[in-house]
Amino acid sequence: MSYLINALLLLLILTSTSVVLTRTPRRQGLAMAANGCVLSALFMTLQAPDVAFSEIVVGTVALPLFFYTALSGLRTGPRSDPEAAPLKDHNPS
Amino acid sequence: MTHRTRTTVLVFLLLLLVPLAVSGLTRLPAFGHYQGPYGDVINTITVHARHVTNMVSAVNYDIRGFDTLGEEFLLMSAVTGVAMLLRGGRGEATSARPTRVLRRRREGRSEAITGIGRLLAPITLLYGIYIIVHAQLTPGGGFQGGVIVFAAALLVYFGEGYASWRKTVRSTMLTLGETLGAAIYLCSGLYPLLSGAAFLQNTLPLGQIGTITSGGSIPIINLGVGCAVAAGFCSIALELLEETRLP
Repeated sequence: MSYLINALLLLLILTSTSVVLTRTPRRQGLAMAANGCVLSALFMTLQAPDVAFSEIVVGTVALPLFFYTALSGLRTGPRSDPEAAPLKDHNPS
Repeated sequence: MTHRTRTTVLVFLLLLLVPLAVSGLTRLPAFGHYQGPYGDVINTITVHARHVTNMVSAVNYDIRGFDTLGEEFLLMSAVTGVAMLLRGGRGEATSARPTRVLRRRREGRSEAITGIGRLLAPITLLYGIYIIVHAQLTPGGGFQGGVIVFAAALLVYFGEGYASWRKTVRSTMLTLGETLGAAIYLCSGLYPLLSGAAFLQNTLPLGQIGTITSGGSIPIINLGVGCAVAAGFCSIALELLEETRLP
């Protein structure tokens, strides 16, 4: 059991460092998901299945999803139309 | 603040804080050696006092019920905040129907993703409901089951795309679920007050150990929390995804 915990702790160090060192946001989302996966496996090994359940959904699914949603909401390209419609005009009221 | 000043402040603070951290870390109990009395007490008395076999649920929803009060309030504030912030720019009514994006490049999903989504979403949903209703018996509970239900809803989105997702997960349904969850929690908190007990005190009949109805008010509160968490997470995802649909 302690070997498993040690291995998971090492993996956790690796994946957490990779989250910090990944510079491309797209890859960073996947790194966060991998980190969440390892973290939930560690919680499971430490006999905390409740926390593992929460972590595997929140850390592996929800957090990267919100991250990617925020990324896809960004407009990074040059504005093609100088009179592009501002946000308010989207709402047909 | 110049670079030099910042370094001086950093060194000063490090000199102050590092000894504290080191002295704290060296006096930690050894790994896997639990010292506190409360866990042992709870393990000993709770099965007979509350008729539940999942101690975490017993602590979170009964013995230390204010944990859930904080969690419920926090999630509700998060959902309200996200909705207020994002709907402010779009108008309130637009959330009820999905936005269609014109001229967006459509990339078809592979059949494998749609197939896996259709296969896994119902199973995940069932598993989430199982986790919610077995809160007092096996590991898991309202929050865990709620987020698993949310994962099932996301599998529909990944497999079928945004428009179908909005047809399956209705925003009125989400509002109802969030409100119903909070109402169930509030009612099971206020009900004991009628008989002169304290807020959230477990006054309902405790039932048979190991059955789905055991634990008094614990399964009811879990049902409410599960509703609120699933609907709350789905609402946050819906509002954020709707934000990316702006032309």
